[in-house]
Amino acid sequence: MTDYFEVHARDGPARLGELRLDPPLATPATVGDRLADAGSLWADEREVPEGSEGELTVLPHRGLPGGTPEEVRESFSVEYPDVEYPSAAVISSASPEAHAVDAYLLSDGQSIVGHGASFVSGIVSVREALQPDTLLVLSGVATPRNVATLVYAGVDAVDAARATAEGTRGRYLTTEGDRRLSDLEELPCACPACRTPVEEFTRADCAEHNENALRAELAVVRQRIREGRLRDYVEGQARHDQWLTATMRELDDRWGYIEERAPILREAEMTAATGDTIRRPEIRRYADRVTTRYRNRFENPLVLVPCSARKPYSESKSHGRFHDAIGWRAHLVSMTSPMGVVPQELETTYPAQQYDTVVTGRWTEEETAFVARVLRRYLERNEYPEIVAHVPTEGYREIVERVESDLALDVTYTVPEGAHPTDESSLENLAEALAGELKYSKREREHNTVRAIADYLLGDGAGDDLFPDLRTTGRYPKLQVRDGDDTQLATMVPRYGTLSFTLEGARRWVESSVPTKRVEIDSFTPHGSVLAPGVVSADEGIRVGDEVVIEGPRAFAVGRAEMFGREMEGSTRGVACEVRHVEEQ
Amino acid sequence: MSQPTPEVYEQGKGMDAHNRAMREIRARREESYDPHEPTRVWVDEDNTPEGVMESLTIILNTGGCRWARAGGCTMCGYVAESVEGGSVSHDALMDQIQVCLDHEAEEADEPADLIKIYTSGSFLDEREVGARSRKAIADAFADRERIVVESLPDFVEREKIADFTGHGLDTDVAVGLETATDRVRQDCVNKYFEFADFEDACAEAAVADAEADATAGIKAYLLMKPPFLAEPEAVADMISSIERCSEVPGCHTVSMNPCNVQRYTMVDDLHFRDGYRPPWLWSVAHVLEETADADAIVVSDPVGHGSDRGAHNCGECDDRVQTAIKDFDLRQDPSVFEQVSCDCEATWDAVMSLETGYNQPLVR
Repeated sequence: MTDYFEVHARDGPARLGELRLDPPLATPATVGDRLADAGSLWADEREVPEGSEGELTVLPHRGLPGGTPEEVRESFSVEYPDVEYPSAAVISSASPEAHAVDAYLLSDGQSIVGHGASFVSGIVSVREALQPDTLLVLSGVATPRNVATLVYAGVDAVDAARATAEGTRGRYLTTEGDRRLSDLEELPCACPACRTPVEEFTRADCAEHNENALRAELAVVRQRIREGRLRDYVEGQARHDQWLTATMRELDDRWGYIEERAPILREAEMTAATGDTIRRPEIRRYADRVTTRYRNRFENPLVLVPCSARKPYSESKSHGRFHDAIGWRAHLVSMTSPMGVVPQELETTYPAQQYDTVVTGRWTEEETAFVARVLRRYLERNEYPEIVAHVPTEGYREIVERVESDLALDVTYTVPEGAHPTDESSLENLAEALAGELKYSKREREHNTVRAIADYLLGDGAGDDLFPDLRTTGRYPKLQVRDGDDTQLATMVPRYGTLSFTLEGARRWVESSVPTKRVEIDSFTPHGSVLAPGVVSADEGIRVGDEVVIEGPRAFAVGRAEMFGREMEGSTRGVACEVRHVEEQ
Repeated sequence: MSQPTPEVYEQGKGMDAHNRAMREIRARREESYDPHEPTRVWVDEDNTPEGVMESLTIILNTGGCRWARAGGCTMCGYVAESVEGGSVSHDALMDQIQVCLDHEAEEADEPADLIKIYTSGSFLDEREVGARSRKAIADAFADRERIVVESLPDFVEREKIADFTGHGLDTDVAVGLETATDRVRQDCVNKYFEFADFEDACAEAAVADAEADATAGIKAYLLMKPPFLAEPEAVADMISSIERCSEVPGCHTVSMNPCNVQRYTMVDDLHFRDGYRPPWLWSVAHVLEETADADAIVVSDPVGHGSDRGAHNCGECDDRVQTAIKDFDLRQDPSVFEQVSCDCEATWDAVMSLETGYNQPLVR
């Protein structure tokens, strides 16, 4: 039971929460001054403390530090009492167990912090073992430099103990370093403690600065989570310590953990500025879906074009010129790092519309290999009567040639050596390559777009299964999806290329052979939102942002997931889904 | 509340776990030792109830601690230094004594007044050192002033002490009490006797003292910061332990020693995984200062001070604080600690106020 902690927003494994003490506290934050330690059972027998609403009481515990043998951990494990006030248990990441508490402190934090693989393995096993809506606290380890990564991995709260202790040792901590006070010629900070001239700056001042720096960094982290942009920040900031970068990379390899927590959509920009972006779960998920769920429905030739900085691509100048040359006579697929390939129907889909990459024309071998791999898998699945590569020589052409040779294709290249795709000569070649091809209709284009989005969101073939008698109204990209009887089933959401269903659409989904992302609720009729305690069961495949069908004895509804499926089932607080349409039954 | 099962059962369960773990850890050792050589021997000086004396310290190899064979104490690696097979004959023991006497003759100007014999077990346990050997060793040192022998409290009997006091030797039995807190001794150290047993041993020594011309008493050995205790808990445990020991009749000296990291121990495993830090020398100094009024001699001998595996401060002040501690041992004057200071006291203060069971070790 979690009565005193609620997750309000998620950004991957990182959460913005509220520790509901009196007064409450927004997390991630330092909680050291809000803990009441009832003491160690190693040192003495302890009574169950009286507790209070104003503090998080750390129940009498036996800390098991790193290196404690398994049999000792087992035989000295503590049964924590179920109490009425905010409480925390002390557990070891080597053998994490859930208890009836609101929060957990790790007893072996010192052993896992500082080493990417150990840290990730510790945090992942703890998170998997505990109720999803409980507060995870790491005491004695946080610094201004590591705290963003700690939170990114799934830690909800820390304390200033380490920052304070390091200050007393004359270690001056910043988000990018850890220096001896004596090595500083000036104080690289403007916090109140650092207003003292460097010559008069004491270790006590240093401890105060370290705490300030930690709190300021936590505020940055909270803001980043609100914006859905913590990963973008960590990709840069974690560079300041090797183990932090290692942690981010190790997490990328924990597909089960990281993908389950990755939302399927965000409004925020996704910065693609490092080589690590390509391993983000959102990117890998996109690459997976576009090569296993998406299917091209056009019968026209394929034109491969380079991406544009402006999103969606169709609104860019360069793509406007490609369009003028193509004139709806070909299926347009943009090649891009780090996305791989983006068929025109999916140009608004997250993160195709949201990513912003660094454009230099230089491709790393890893980018080239990644895009080539995605393009190869794409072309293995989708056949075209003809393939035109309207791409610059640098980077792009090499990728196409690689795939052309691997798959024994015959590709027409329309951009002359050294020329730009928007050069007149290139565009003339492009138009010429498509000479004699017939245009496809607006109707075909819109239908294919809606079905492609359905495939991408719901599974291979979903577009055909759900919409056999499709009609579209409205103006792209704000399409309304209707059936042959003109009943509206869904609306395309241009901001992130999804479909939001009507109740009729949801019924169609439930009746179809497409796997439904279903949330089963208790006997009530939800209005506005479904809270986690009302959830009886939820599909394990549900991700944050997913369209979900909500069903219970008294309601049939459709809405959007705010939690991932297992989180809905395991949580006792918080909004599980937002309800868009509901019908009492 | 935290122990749904009876206390006794819990203790047994914890003991089994500790012992299983320690047997596995100790099994990694490969060395064995010559039963005709003592484990170690050195000359030094010591504070006794009769003043400071030149001393000869002998770590006798008696085949090692019986308890350690079952698993034993979480911090103790001395068993690793014991002889293979586990028992040492009378002749071999007497060979060891001769080696010690030869060492003394070479290193010291004259025979030491004080003899200290440790066995990494119990000298008074007749399965370790038979009655015949005990009496022979008493004979060998009959001309000295004072002798210290190590034993678990169960084996402390007035008759055995009389073997030494009978020669006019003032006799101290060193008992590895570790802490006066039974819970800490059992759960953290994995040592299974109780403070009451220690009190009984002190009473036996008091009787031996009354029955002989020479004096007899108990020297309690305490362990500062066993595994699983945070620094402030360890300090509090030592202060209360010293106070309790000094109140027991028959216990005239308390030797309070910071835990050091010995090979083939659970402490070593914890330390290797960043789960243990030996205590601060400031903690040792603090406890000595706080208990300076206790009605017993209180001394401390930090082994491996200043190193990562022994009690240490910041690296700058370790030798100075160690010197103050050794000075205190001889003079029992807490003002020696006023002579030493270092910036790292602020760090120690932070550790004392912030280190807990869920963040230790806060500072390495």
